[in-house]
Amino acid sequence: MEEKKITSLEGMAIINEMIQRSKTRRFIGDGNILLMWGYLVVGVAALVWILIDLTHNPAMNWFWYLIWIIGGIATPIMARKRREKAGVTTYADKIGNAVWTTVGLSAFALTLICLGFFLFSGTDTWSSMLMLPLLIVGFAEIVQGVAIREKSLIWGGGIGIVSGLVTLCCIAGGIALYAGWFMPMFIMSFALMMILPGHILNYKSRKER
Amino acid sequence: MKELDPLLHSQLRLAVMSILMNVEEADFVYLKEKTSSTAGNLSVQLDKLSSAGYIAVEKGFVGKKPRTVCRVTDTGRKAFEEYVKDLRKLLNI
Repeated sequence: MEEKKITSLEGMAIINEMIQRSKTRRFIGDGNILLMWGYLVVGVAALVWILIDLTHNPAMNWFWYLIWIIGGIATPIMARKRREKAGVTTYADKIGNAVWTTVGLSAFALTLICLGFFLFSGTDTWSSMLMLPLLIVGFAEIVQGVAIREKSLIWGGGIGIVSGLVTLCCIAGGIALYAGWFMPMFIMSFALMMILPGHILNYKSRKER
Repeated sequence: MKELDPLLHSQLRLAVMSILMNVEEADFVYLKEKTSSTAGNLSVQLDKLSSAGYIAVEKGFVGKKPRTVCRVTDTGRKAFEEYVKDLRKLLNI
């Protein structure tokens, strides 16, 4: 393509062709951030579950913070690399960034609120930290799934929301979240919500290439 | 009949604007690949679009490699929409 005058018909053809060429919604490695978070959450949840089971020490719950520390450091690095590799930021990316930033900030705000309750009134509200990721991550996944038209994200997000609502009802109804049933549900939900769609996304983007 | 915007009524500049209208931002390498143009020619056309205020060009570095990122401005968006409207009128569609 070069700098040359064109007819009206050619003008219209160029516009159509460029829209076609730039309408790619998937890029190689799109599922990597999802996979990182999925394996991280599942790994840490399994670690906490095993440690609590072995030691019966609630202090092992502090290991949950590994998720925020590792994920918080890795995500911006991975997102920047992905952006540079793709060479383009689409409107779907913009929606995704806004939604996931909201998820991150909400989780951070809830941590501070729970800490506040614990420090100032001695009330244990930490179980809400188990409900929030399921609900809000599920919601974010559905938004992203709609934006990039990826059904596995929509289904995964739906499963997360249902698990989150079950957890919410248990908390509201005073039903104890025993590790024996809650941890497998939590781990399974994140595997279906992030790991499975992450691999599907990577497979599809490789195939499209 | 109204004359088509001469700045947009050119093969490569129109191609660049069409891509940028379709995405949030794109870098030089992406534009070069999608328009199948040469680096020199693309660079000249980007300068013309930027001088007219149709696109914003941001130059930075990724490690030691330079990276130029382009995005369409409100002026460019308006001009492109007007161009498409005029084109439709001309083609009776």
